[in-house]
Amino acid sequence: MSDTLRIVLIVASVLCLLFMLRKISQSKVRIDDAIFWIVGAFVLVIISIFPQIPSWCCDLLGIQTPVNFLFLFMIFILLAKLFYMTIRVSQLESKVKELSQRYALDHMDDEVKQDEE
Amino acid sequence: MKLLIIIPAYNEQENIERVVDHLIQDYPQYSYVVVNDGSKDNTAAICRKRGYNLIDLPVNLGLAGGFQAGMQYAEKHGFEYAIQYDADGQHRAEYIGALLEECETGKDIVIGSRFVQKKKPLSLRMLGSRMISGAIRLTTFRKIKDPTSGMRIYNRRMIKLFAHHTNLSPEPDSVAYMMKSGAKVSEVQVEMDERTAGVSYLNAPKAMFYMLRMVVSILFIQVFRSPIRLKDNSPENEE
Repeated sequence: MSDTLRIVLIVASVLCLLFMLRKISQSKVRIDDAIFWIVGAFVLVIISIFPQIPSWCCDLLGIQTPVNFLFLFMIFILLAKLFYMTIRVSQLESKVKELSQRYALDHMDDEVKQDEE
Repeated sequence: MKLLIIIPAYNEQENIERVVDHLIQDYPQYSYVVVNDGSKDNTAAICRKRGYNLIDLPVNLGLAGGFQAGMQYAEKHGFEYAIQYDADGQHRAEYIGALLEECETGKDIVIGSRFVQKKKPLSLRMLGSRMISGAIRLTTFRKIKDPTSGMRIYNRRMIKLFAHHTNLSPEPDSVAYMMKSGAKVSEVQVEMDERTAGVSYLNAPKAMFYMLRMVVSILFIQVFRSPIRLKDNSPENEE
């Protein structure tokens, strides 16, 4: 890994951290959801400070350069996150559906009662 | 109408009757509300049949969301104190009085702690508790001996905050954040029972992830959050 790449990674991670903390103090993101990005940014910082870690993984997996390993690693993490987000969105949608159905049905009873009175 | 006991319940059909009946019979001086968090079993049906005071959430929100609903109820009905009380029978009602008494001395949050006088056992289960204690000590310079205890009592100004804030939940990281914001937090020795029926939904991987989440949150997030401005707790400031 070149020094320039390492510096870029560190700066990007720190910016990511600051951005997330700002969003948390504005109450725009839940801490549970921010943890992923905070931990991710830390991992990037560690990888850039100790480039031996990706080099070692490269040797292990037979990848030629550490930067390739970095790409593979990040794509994998992002795919996993995307998959997880897909599940979350599905669950959210079914919850919203359930909620609206229940709300509508409950209020239907109200209207019937009012008519009876 | 001073103290509200908030009982979040998720799939607690084996325990709920025993726990709530005990409170109604032996502690009629306290009000209570059961928050059914979208249980898939008969928890809601049992509560309705027995005529319990029930908030019935139509979908599952998780402990934080269910407890928050209870806090909103406490806020709306003007309760001065609210305590979180497990539906699985782990918490003992005889200690509610001690917690309330301590909270009335001007504390914001009082934790029912298993380890004020007693030593924390050296088990794997308590390792996480130690890590969270350490993180709180590192960031607030104060000792919380049993941060993961779910038995906590909150006063009126905490009720108002916890009822609406997105990132305040009944978890150790919120307690740490409130301490950093200047809230008075203390602990009272209590005993807890093992759950007698049903299963805890905190299995080993979940427990590990929970600990990681708490430690990261306390060390790296709560430290950098700007403190909440706490309003004076005197009754004249009620709007």
